[in-house]
Amino acid sequence: MDENKPVVQIKNLKKSFFLPHERHDSLVEFMANPLRIFKPKGEQFTVLKDIDLDIYPGEFLGIMGRNGSGKSTLLKILAGVYEPTSGSVKVEGKVVPFLELGVGFNPQLTGKENVFLNGIILGMSKDLLKKKYDEIVAFAELEKFMDMPLKNYSSGMQVRLAFSIAIMADADIYILDEVLAVGDVEFQKKCFDVFRNYKEQKKTVILVTHAAGSVKDFCTRAVFLKDGVFQVEGDVDKVIDAYNVG
Amino acid sequence: MNNYIELLQEFIKTDFQLRYKNSYLGIVWVVLKPLATFSVIYVIWSNIFKLGADYKMGLLLGIMIMNFFSEAVMMGMDSLMSKAGIILKTKFPREITIYSAVTIALIDFTLNMIVFVIFSFFTPIHPTLIGLLLFMMAVICIFVLTMGISLFLSLMFIKLRDIHNLIEVGIQLIFWATPIYYTLEMMPENLKKIIVLNPLTLIVTYARKGLITGSQVRTEDFLQLGIVFLVCCLVLALGTIFFKKKVSKIAEYF
Repeated sequence: MDENKPVVQIKNLKKSFFLPHERHDSLVEFMANPLRIFKPKGEQFTVLKDIDLDIYPGEFLGIMGRNGSGKSTLLKILAGVYEPTSGSVKVEGKVVPFLELGVGFNPQLTGKENVFLNGIILGMSKDLLKKKYDEIVAFAELEKFMDMPLKNYSSGMQVRLAFSIAIMADADIYILDEVLAVGDVEFQKKCFDVFRNYKEQKKTVILVTHAAGSVKDFCTRAVFLKDGVFQVEGDVDKVIDAYNVG
Repeated sequence: MNNYIELLQEFIKTDFQLRYKNSYLGIVWVVLKPLATFSVIYVIWSNIFKLGADYKMGLLLGIMIMNFFSEAVMMGMDSLMSKAGIILKTKFPREITIYSAVTIALIDFTLNMIVFVIFSFFTPIHPTLIGLLLFMMAVICIFVLTMGISLFLSLMFIKLRDIHNLIEVGIQLIFWATPIYYTLEMMPENLKKIIVLNPLTLIVTYARKGLITGSQVRTEDFLQLGIVFLVCCLVLALGTIFFKKKVSKIAEYF
């Protein structure tokens, strides 16, 4: 891949949501003004005002910001879940979103069935999953439990399984929302090793987190998101300082 | 493209499995429900009127087809909503959820047809090769039609929850407005005109004609059903256009 060509190109990105002010749910209220169903009262709430961002291959980008500052919205736009209100977003290469671990997991299905369901939802092929199945189970350390329904797993076991599936996806760009490390301390170590590996392999990773330590350890670049724009951009330490000040 | 098909297969497989998981009769429920409706109507009606053997099989087939229609529409309508958790977190072609729901209804219908074949050992039917073709065409019509309807309803349901109840009532009306337990000939002239406007009337009529009294099938039947088929295709085309246009903002409306 060309090192000088950005894999993610965001230009003048704006995203706003409709924020309803009042809701009339009952029939009587509806009858009072039936047309309101087509034109509910409310305002446009702009989460991201004007975002410009280029991400180059091999970068480990940290996005920091307070709750509700729009970090997750930005990730969802990158993952293709939301559409931008205006502006353009170009993403080149295969994206695997870790917006939530275990997307599509069903408690009724066995661990094994969930591996295939979740893996395919994340865009992996069935053949690949068959090949990597043993590796996934071994990484999650759940060899004995794969034929058991997921509802009988502890929550730690569930996230371990989910994490182990997600890392098998051979993507160019990984989008992580607060899921750098899961499970107990031992397992967390393994998770960090995976990301260190990604870094060495020059994969592109976009990470949203509140943990300044992780940003410092991993990120090559960071941004601080506040009031819909990047307040500070670039240097990791400066971004952490800005985040701590608020 | 590869992932598209695998995702569709995976949705069909898991949703089909999950529906009756933890129930003792499991998949048997798929055939029990239409059989129960059939039994009730048949027992009552056969005590009121003198009914021929063709009526019995026609009733059974009619109920199974209507069951296919209502299941496909209801499951198709719910499909996007029931996958909200996945839709909010990943990008995948959203229409797969609808394709999978309607296909599950088709699988259910196929299982019901096995029961129909078992029934036909006791009450013989008279299918012909050409009649079977007409029957298949009728089934494809319903598949295409319900797919088109579901593409509309699944999206509308997310913004307007009332649709669910509305459609439930609507399906009941359609059930009684389709000649399933009565024949078209029993109805007075002016009511007949309205009933024929219901596309399901023609579909059910030709499905029966093809499967139960196959020797009566004429070329005109294919032509008439062909027109119905074109209408169904039009619904699907419009549904697809509507869906493609509106689906991109779906994640914001849940």
